[in-house]
Amino acid sequence: MTRVLARLSGVVRRFGSVEALAGADLEVLEGEVHAVLGENGAGKTTLLGILGGILRPNEGTVEIDGTPVTLSSPGDAWARGVGLVHQHFMLVPALSVLENLALGRRSTPGRLSRTHAHVRSDASRLMERTGLDVPLDVRVESLSVGQKQRVEILRALLRDPRILVLDEPTAALAPAEVASLFALLRDLAAEGRAVVLVAHKIDEVLAVADRVTVLRRGRTTLTELRASVDATSLVRAIVGGEAADRVSVWSPGQATAPRRARGQEVAALVDARARDASGRVGVDGVSLAVGRGEILGIAGVDGNGQRELALLLAGRLTPDTGSARIPDGVGFIPQDRTLEGLIGEFDLTENVALALHADARFGGRSLLRWRDIRTEADRVRVRFGIVAPGIDTRGGALSGGNQQRLVVGRELLVATDLLVAENPTRGLDVSATAFVHGELRQVTDAVTGPGVVLISSDLDEVLALSDRVLVLSRGRVHEIAEGVRTREGVGALMLGGADAVA
Amino acid sequence: MRWPERVMGGPLAVATGAVLLTAMLGAVLLWAGGYDPLAAARAAALGAFGTRDALLSITLVRSVPLILTGLAIAVAFRAGVWNVGAEGQLYAGAVAAVWVGLEGGSLPALLLVPAVLGAAGVAGALWALAPALMKLRLGVGEVITTLLMNFVAIYLAAYMVHGPLQEPRGVFPQTGPIAEGARLPVLVPGTRLHVGVVLALVAAAGLSWLFRRTRIGFQMRAVGASSDAARIAGRIDTRKVVLIAFLGSGALAGLAGGVQVAGVTYALYEGLSPGWGYTAIAVALLAALNPIGVLATAVLFGALEAGAAAMQRDAGVPAVWAVAAQSLVILAVLALDRVRHRAGSEASGV
Repeated sequence: MTRVLARLSGVVRRFGSVEALAGADLEVLEGEVHAVLGENGAGKTTLLGILGGILRPNEGTVEIDGTPVTLSSPGDAWARGVGLVHQHFMLVPALSVLENLALGRRSTPGRLSRTHAHVRSDASRLMERTGLDVPLDVRVESLSVGQKQRVEILRALLRDPRILVLDEPTAALAPAEVASLFALLRDLAAEGRAVVLVAHKIDEVLAVADRVTVLRRGRTTLTELRASVDATSLVRAIVGGEAADRVSVWSPGQATAPRRARGQEVAALVDARARDASGRVGVDGVSLAVGRGEILGIAGVDGNGQRELALLLAGRLTPDTGSARIPDGVGFIPQDRTLEGLIGEFDLTENVALALHADARFGGRSLLRWRDIRTEADRVRVRFGIVAPGIDTRGGALSGGNQQRLVVGRELLVATDLLVAENPTRGLDVSATAFVHGELRQVTDAVTGPGVVLISSDLDEVLALSDRVLVLSRGRVHEIAEGVRTREGVGALMLGGADAVA
Repeated sequence: MRWPERVMGGPLAVATGAVLLTAMLGAVLLWAGGYDPLAAARAAALGAFGTRDALLSITLVRSVPLILTGLAIAVAFRAGVWNVGAEGQLYAGAVAAVWVGLEGGSLPALLLVPAVLGAAGVAGALWALAPALMKLRLGVGEVITTLLMNFVAIYLAAYMVHGPLQEPRGVFPQTGPIAEGARLPVLVPGTRLHVGVVLALVAAAGLSWLFRRTRIGFQMRAVGASSDAARIAGRIDTRKVVLIAFLGSGALAGLAGGVQVAGVTYALYEGLSPGWGYTAIAVALLAALNPIGVLATAVLFGALEAGAAAMQRDAGVPAVWAVAAQSLVILAVLALDRVRHRAGSEASGV
């Protein structure tokens, strides 16, 4: 009989008047990979936070090894062998990777340099075993999103947890990295540990999990063995019975979008070069053109110039050399919606005003027409189904999916010529992802519509949506011919160029 | 866009709580020190609000520089510019105001008063320009540069009153009186309340309007709330906004120095400001950086100063107790604001 390492029963957790968990259960067995699924706002992160000692439940019990426990800090959880890898990075930007890894260590007596030496050798060994490769002596602030995530995972593994809890670990990883991470998780489980992970992509869950738990509106709606579920039944459990029929399940890796007619050219880069924030070359001589009514997909592993290319195309950055022809009506969906897409303490109206305030229709040279902006904000709220009491709701009070609806809706208002989307579905649940994909397709339906540039590290997304595909690797683009537009073909090209960068 | 409610629900509650908390703590302190808290409170209240003269000539007159410097801090902090140099900018404004007021005696008052105040504002803005350029060009943090510029301004003023601008007889370390035509008229006859208070009210109302209605006001709030989102989502030239915030903040602080010289002292001397530029930080934070709120908190701190003097005079309590009370107010604000924020983030941190 397999041992139960942890059991959460009837867990209720309230934040003010919001009930994030309304009686959730989770059972973690020795030697299993256990996936937790659910929409944004279903309570997954809260549930993991309780298991990881970050949050305390209002009701319900937490048992570890059969004993009821009160986990009042992450330290408590660590002491019982529970290690949590956060969805949002908990790293010190100004410290090196090595120093960040050392922060997670129980301080050994003796000099700091000795601790660092220990951590260095442990980390090197671990990196070799796991394929999670990051430079140890580089400051964390200069790493890409994907690299930061690798550091987070490394830091947790260094502590040798019995239960490893990962909140969306694959969001920023390339397919090959996902595969090696999953292999690693399987190894960890084979050693008798338990792995609990939150994931959004159903195919990933089906590939790695032994058991699946689905949360819906704060309650556990399903806990099943992998063998007894499939994609359809999971989607049904995630979004609820009636909604499932409306969500067209996007089947990754299979269908690639048909090429559509390409309209008049709206934006172009000619031999553009741009440096990143730390002065390293990000985009290294890129020429490309975007036409109306097409989706130009740009695949690639994070950290290969994606950021700078996105900023160039969105008109937020001017090239150091070469030229950029960017239209006026450009919308931009930045990958980090909480930091760059919206302002948490601004309400919906003010967040919509971020994109509209420079537009002559919503203000003269100096005054703003708030009444008109409010009208637009309310239209965005209604049309894009943002779940919020009203346009006075603060952006920070929205769930992740609703925040992205707000950003997408707002940018579509201004994207009359061009829309640049940078990892627009990262961290979104099934229905929010379907929403974003639907909007990107719909806006390009007409050959007079805006051109869309989709920059994504999610290869399946790029292949499924794009009319044309480019691969960005080491700051340069490579066009993918129609015939080799397969997952394997593009993936190989992505990684071939990425090796030297990581 | 619903400021009144936001202020009522949060900052106003914090401010009220802070004052009550401070009153209780202050009473305990006074009692422990062997004074009669009730007598002291009575003396302080009478000294600050008890008579027409106490209210108009003392409390409100002392509030004027606090309002203007408080607004200076609000402008800067709202845009995420940590200008702690209002004290120096105030002195720069005072020096410029005195200089124009001494030299411009031949001009009619209708021109001279605006010239004095204009010079004060420009001088304050220029004093803030140096830290602004150091931040924008070299990336030097403004907390240090604006703070250090305070000492430069204070000693510059001291040099002026010992040297170039010293009164003609060369006896006292102060300037001679500025021309009659450079002085602000008294607003309420028989009191010392000058028209500077109207200027302060107009400035507060203007700033409140600026933040709510204008594009630059919105841009300042966006940059202050999230520089990254302002730049990426708002396509705002954050450097330009930061520069404007620096200059506007410096101009308001400089104006405070000019108004003090033209409305109250008619001369410049060392120690012109009892640290208004620093108290202004508490004034602005207590008002949650809301310009209208600054009016209330500035009067509160003005009353504390006025009450302190009366407490010493009438109840024998040393004035340092009032300084301690001011500090308690600030501490209570910080603590209560933190509590409020924690409650807020709990509510939205799903």
